[in-house]
Amino acid sequence: MNNQSQILGVFDDPDVVTAAVKELLQNNVSVKDVFSPFPLEHVWEMLKMKTRIPYATFIYGALGTAGTFAFLYWTSVIDYPLTFGGKPHNSLSFAVLMFVLTILSGVIFTLATYLVREKMWPGKKVSMPDTRTMDDKFVIVIDRDKNMDDDAVRKIDALLKKSGAVEVNMSNV
Amino acid sequence: MYNIKARGVLIEGNKGYHDITRDITNPLLSKTTPSWWWVAAFIATSMLIWGVWGFYNTIAVGTGTWGLNNSVSWGWAIINFVWWIGIGHAGTAFSIFLLVLHQKWRTSINRAAEAMTIFAVMAAGMFPLIHMGRIWDGFYVFPYPNTRGPLWVNFNSPLFWDVTAISTYLTASFLFWYVGMMPDFASIRERTVSKIKKKIYGILSFGWLGSARGWLRFETAALLMGGLTAPLVVSVHSIVAMDFAAGIVPGWHSTIFPPFFVVGAIFSGFAMVLTMMIIVRKVYKYEEYVTQRHLDAIARVLTFVSLIMGVAYISEIFISWYSDSPYEMYVFFKNRAIGDYAFEFWAMITCNAIIPQLFWFKKIRTNITMVFIISIFINIGMWFERFVIVVTSLSKTWLPSTWHAYTPTVTEVAIYVGTLGFFVLGILLFLRFLPMMAVSELKGVLKETSLITENTNNHE
Repeated sequence: MNNQSQILGVFDDPDVVTAAVKELLQNNVSVKDVFSPFPLEHVWEMLKMKTRIPYATFIYGALGTAGTFAFLYWTSVIDYPLTFGGKPHNSLSFAVLMFVLTILSGVIFTLATYLVREKMWPGKKVSMPDTRTMDDKFVIVIDRDKNMDDDAVRKIDALLKKSGAVEVNMSNV
Repeated sequence: MYNIKARGVLIEGNKGYHDITRDITNPLLSKTTPSWWWVAAFIATSMLIWGVWGFYNTIAVGTGTWGLNNSVSWGWAIINFVWWIGIGHAGTAFSIFLLVLHQKWRTSINRAAEAMTIFAVMAAGMFPLIHMGRIWDGFYVFPYPNTRGPLWVNFNSPLFWDVTAISTYLTASFLFWYVGMMPDFASIRERTVSKIKKKIYGILSFGWLGSARGWLRFETAALLMGGLTAPLVVSVHSIVAMDFAAGIVPGWHSTIFPPFFVVGAIFSGFAMVLTMMIIVRKVYKYEEYVTQRHLDAIARVLTFVSLIMGVAYISEIFISWYSDSPYEMYVFFKNRAIGDYAFEFWAMITCNAIIPQLFWFKKIRTNITMVFIISIFINIGMWFERFVIVVTSLSKTWLPSTWHAYTPTVTEVAIYVGTLGFFVLGILLFLRFLPMMAVSELKGVLKETSLITENTNNHE
């Protein structure tokens, strides 16, 4: 048991696991991660997780707007000015394409940012702490660091079981 | 905040999380393909092959094989294009509008509706492509540095906006659909025993883990992508409407067109979702996931949208009289109401504005057969709407000496039937190989919507 590196508390209810995370944090146990079959919003708040993806999306959108205008201005005013129906070269109707391409740029680059941040790619090999989290189980992962003695591990084990864990496992992941 | 319990129990039958995974992934993990699937696939493929013949005929001989003439220069191609684009609005309308509005009942239906969007938009895209005649010169529509000046495309034309808007819509809808499936692919990856399936779904899942941070980023990215795509529903069909409204043809040159088209698109999209989901819940026995309440909710949306359609028809007729323009009055009071295409006009009014009003009666809303029949009527009615707009207006324009009737040729019918075959085949492949409901989202709503007991029917 001494060379194990992670403690896994397995739960089968989203509310119980959320309460367990709270309980662990109150007892100064640092929760590394929680694996679940669907998102648990309260856990993000308790683990103080934040993402800056929305700011990135705003920038991609703004660049899309500016880039489209620059392209339209260059083609229609600088490179080959051609009059259509007496409308000005620098036309107000550029707004339509700027709107559409803002969205396109926002969507594509937001997805790209997400994949880069999560380090996901097609065919990536993964090892999960417990594959049942893809089905019906919720797993709290606690890192077991070097200065954690058997007593501390037993305490965490008891805490997990008290909070409603159906199993507590050790893992080498 | 919206009361998420207003719709009652969304997943019936006292299911646990494991039951959901099992129920939704079993059809695609099963080794045997049901016989009805083969029959449907055979029919769809035959239709598609006929369509390929129509496609070939058009390209080899030219658009002369169509029933178009000097007056009616846009026939079935644009009618079917607009019809398919309209159906293609369902997915995004469903997934994203209802996501933004916190309507949890979307969860059983959004995935299939998104799949429908992808195939419907692809089917729609074939019509402008083939209408070019010289399809090999199709790349001319893209703005690329060329040796002709470089002469750029007309960035102020609704036709070019169409190209951009629809390719953007297809790309964004596809990415949103795919991202939503990644957690489910991972579920299948861990569940399947077949090595090949494990490999394939493993590649498709992009290494999804389901950690807390992963979910946070996933939810944020999906909401942002969805929120960005939502305005496209409005813009795509507004731009399609401008293809017409920017022309000076009587009956087209109207400011009501963009909103009218957007509402019509959502109307036909929701109707097609209803048609499809009633079949899917029947053959896959998903009555516990797509409950009576889901169908009821869609029927209520359709009733309301049908009223908007009715108001739009009436206001078009009113404005043509109020404008005092003899040309506009001719279009609505003579050409459409009692002219050569009066049947199509009245079919449009009946199917879109009158028949869906039957949904006011609870007896009809809860009778699945009736709901199914009415949804088919709406699909047909929306097709007639596009026919009426295109053909009645074009067949009798400003110069009576150019007046000409229009009937489609076999080639045009073949192309249309071919796109229907393509769409059905696409849906069949989706049902066979991809998770047809969002497993993780279903699990997410399971607990909060099953807390209330079955007898608290507080949505009445």
